[in-house]
Amino acid sequence: MRSLLRQSALLLGLALLPAAGQALYFRDKVSWHSPVPASEMVTIADARGWGDSAIWIDARPEAEFTKEHVPGAILLNEDRWNELLPQMLATWSSEKRVVIYCSSESCGSSREVARRLRKEAQLKNVFVLEGGWEAWRGTGK
Amino acid sequence: MGSVAGDGEMMTTATSNAQPPTSNVQRGEETTSSSIAWRVLAIIIGALFVYAGVLKAWDPIRFAGDIENYHILPWALNLGLAFFLPWLEMICGLALIVRRGYSGALALLFALLLVFIGASIAAKARGIDISCGCFGHVSDQLSFAWHLVLDFAILAAVVALWLKQRND
Repeated sequence: MRSLLRQSALLLGLALLPAAGQALYFRDKVSWHSPVPASEMVTIADARGWGDSAIWIDARPEAEFTKEHVPGAILLNEDRWNELLPQMLATWSSEKRVVIYCSSESCGSSREVARRLRKEAQLKNVFVLEGGWEAWRGTGK
Repeated sequence: MGSVAGDGEMMTTATSNAQPPTSNVQRGEETTSSSIAWRVLAIIIGALFVYAGVLKAWDPIRFAGDIENYHILPWALNLGLAFFLPWLEMICGLALIVRRGYSGALALLFALLLVFIGASIAAKARGIDISCGCFGHVSDQLSFAWHLVLDFAILAAVVALWLKQRND
């Protein structure tokens, strides 16, 4: 039993070293306070205020998008990323702001799509909608 | 008495000598085959955890998002775990492959799997649509049921390796 505990402690310690190194490497690249920094979130009211300069992106599965979505929104999810990204980029221009939503506050797909748009497509002005589709429906459209 | 005992010994010796000489060899071969099979299983499970760990360590922010989706822990802790757990998986996987710290690795992997399965079931019960993130993008297409089947299969293999190691 003692040997088991010693081995476990040793393995935990060994894992801690590279993990600490990686955390140090990422210290300026990620917020420790929120999964999405406040500067990358947008409220429904603010996003609506952007009018035509906003591109709305629905990051939910296609079946949910087909059923109902924010008027004018484009489907872009990770299931068909390679196929849908060029379609989205065709509507994008540098002065536009991108607003991404998924089903609710708790879903993670809008964060992930936002992250990939920034990282892979090098887009700026990419925002995640607070409360997602659930909040949009709550406002009575 | 002594002669009786002596006869008994002689009979035992005679009986064992009467066994075909190949049976011990066969038993030895079976034991060797069984040992190889257990070794292969340990290497497969170890490699699986190394692979899963590498995929997650490659993109810890994404993995932190996956943990965040479970809505159990605060973000800072999720991020900390996203840096730590992939390395723990890799090191435990390597320990199984090279057979160093073997028992400790099995115990840690068993605990990790139990916590993960429990968290997955709790999240599903709360109606949270989760991507487990176990194998990065590779596992995104798996349904919840298949995730559970996979997890229980790995858990069973870890338990089997633990029991085998105890009996050796």
